[in-house]
Amino acid sequence: MRPAPLLGLAALGACAASLAHTGLAPNVLAHEGHGHPPRAEAGAPFPIPEPGSYRLPPIKPAGGGRVLDEAGRPRDLLDDARAGGVTVLALIYTRCGDVCPLASADMARLQDLAARDPAAARRMRLVTLSFDPEHDTPEVMRSFAAAWRSADPAAPAWAFLTAPGRAELAPILAAYGQRVDAGPDGSLSHLFRAFLIDSGGRVRNIYSLDFFEPALVLADIRTLLLEEAGSGAARGR
Amino acid sequence: MPGIRAMTPGRLASALCAATVLLAAGPAGADETCQSPYMVKITGVEDFVYVWTLGVEGLGDGSDKLVTVDAREGSPTFGRPIHAVPVGGRHEAHHGGFTDDRRQFWAAGLSDSRIFIFNVADDPAKPRLVKVIDDFVERSGGAAGPHGAYALPGRMLIPSLSNRDGTGRAALVEYSNEGEYVATHWLPTDAAPNGATIEARADGYGYDARVLPRRNVMLTSSFTGLENYMRPLGDLMKDAEAMKRFGQTMVVWDFHARQPRTVLSVPGVPLEIRWAWGPQNTYAFTSTALTSKLWLVREDGRGAWSAKAVADIGDPSTLPVPVDISLSADDRTLFVDTFMDGTTRVFDVSDPDRPRQIYEKKIGAQLNMVSQSWDGKRIYYTSSLLANWDKTGAENEQFLKAYTWDGKALAPRFAIDFTAERLGRPHMMAFGAASLYGK
Repeated sequence: MRPAPLLGLAALGACAASLAHTGLAPNVLAHEGHGHPPRAEAGAPFPIPEPGSYRLPPIKPAGGGRVLDEAGRPRDLLDDARAGGVTVLALIYTRCGDVCPLASADMARLQDLAARDPAAARRMRLVTLSFDPEHDTPEVMRSFAAAWRSADPAAPAWAFLTAPGRAELAPILAAYGQRVDAGPDGSLSHLFRAFLIDSGGRVRNIYSLDFFEPALVLADIRTLLLEEAGSGAARGR
Repeated sequence: MPGIRAMTPGRLASALCAATVLLAAGPAGADETCQSPYMVKITGVEDFVYVWTLGVEGLGDGSDKLVTVDAREGSPTFGRPIHAVPVGGRHEAHHGGFTDDRRQFWAAGLSDSRIFIFNVADDPAKPRLVKVIDDFVERSGGAAGPHGAYALPGRMLIPSLSNRDGTGRAALVEYSNEGEYVATHWLPTDAAPNGATIEARADGYGYDARVLPRRNVMLTSSFTGLENYMRPLGDLMKDAEAMKRFGQTMVVWDFHARQPRTVLSVPGVPLEIRWAWGPQNTYAFTSTALTSKLWLVREDGRGAWSAKAVADIGDPSTLPVPVDISLSADDRTLFVDTFMDGTTRVFDVSDPDRPRQIYEKKIGAQLNMVSQSWDGKRIYYTSSLLANWDKTGAENEQFLKAYTWDGKALAPRFAIDFTAERLGRPHMMAFGAASLYGK
């Protein structure tokens, strides 16, 4: 299981960092929320649509590119996606003092939730990619992973990746439309997005933090798996 | 079963952090209200007001254009138009909106269904036209008259007003932020309800589309088709059959699935939709153009949605024609513009069931859009409705007027005569800030 105390420290640290710079990095505060409360622990705050009952039209090609795993081994970002199944990709940096810890907590909840559905868990994976390669070395990502990743063998795989450098990172960020601007205090201003990627390497949904509801994401994953199996009503185009 | 584990220290910390973030995100900033909740927000005072402006034949270059107005107090050009990007030709410039990252402003033309995409990030004072979508009708499968542009994560939602036949059957069309077509969702009709429960009828008309993420709900409203909105207003008003072809409905959607759930009966042409911001305030306001009423659309404790008229706007018998509305960030104050009498009315909506008018002021001979800053202190107005519906002669005033609001009265800050400046008919406004881009 995930080491809760370390998890708590990570989140509290993130919260403190958030407070230290007046709440939120000035460029990342979204209108989102309409007063959205902290994510409910006990289920989604609204009915989740039945997997396969709706479409997830392809939005654009997912971007690949050279990245490093936690052991420093080079690989392509889309290696696993091309092997089949469904990928949820979250773009963060570990020093992030506001939205990234919340997003990582949601990824953790998604991992826990999916662990209860072994058939889905086997055919999906979570990927967290840092856009801060100078700081987020493979060693840092390995340590970060230890705080967030579940040790439950039934849980889906969760890879924590980083880029070898800015040159390798730039085309990946461009492919996902992810703008990252360095602030004067060293913070990286960004709008959090996560991406649902199908086995054909296509982006099928894009989530803001406000809509990164684990039960909803899992419904999307199941929808794509049904589509992949040819048994669902859902189709791309 | 989801969510059965007790909250770990890490999750508790995350929740506390989220709550803190929410407090920090309260109504202390200064961005425009009434924006997509998915969009990056200005946390300081707006530097610029972008005005999507209809061209007027013989006036200046005659072209539709995006005008930048300097809103920086202390600037030598404060209150002046400082830049304009003509798009070439007239396209019935109407509404628009930013992408979620606020790097682009998408502006739509109602007559020929073109969508103009401006880069506002590289030089926020001087937006740059970077792309034109000119195959909206073809790619969408027949939707026409793109109206607004509403930010979703990595995508834009474009509600249409019409279709290739010019009638009022409308659709919601999605594009990626890169400007590539993604999907079309047609509004439900009696013949094709697409699973929706219909209160009275489903007319299939469209206008506004806005999302309440925490309830996974999207609400749409309804106007009329190209065959009506491109006709001269006086001519149209005399055509009894044509006047029947206006929207009478609002649709509650399962936003995530993009599936209509309930078609509400809201007679009188419901236009702009404004969701309340408070975490417990699961309701929205709209105004009806032809019946001059404020409507409240609300979810009850069982998850069912209903709409009811809660106030008159002016004297409905005089047909004031409510147009744009703007809800304050604290959900207490609603500004309502009426086109025919050029008046803005301010309602106390702290009790949403019983709005109470607390102020009114005539802004000009005609009036359409209103935008207020997040702190509720600065209010901006523009005059134009549609090229063929604007008043004529001396009453065809075309302006942007800026005021301060102290909770009791409006006080003038500046005004720009768009005719004297040879710019055109000002319509949609959107706020810009250099700080958004680290400038």
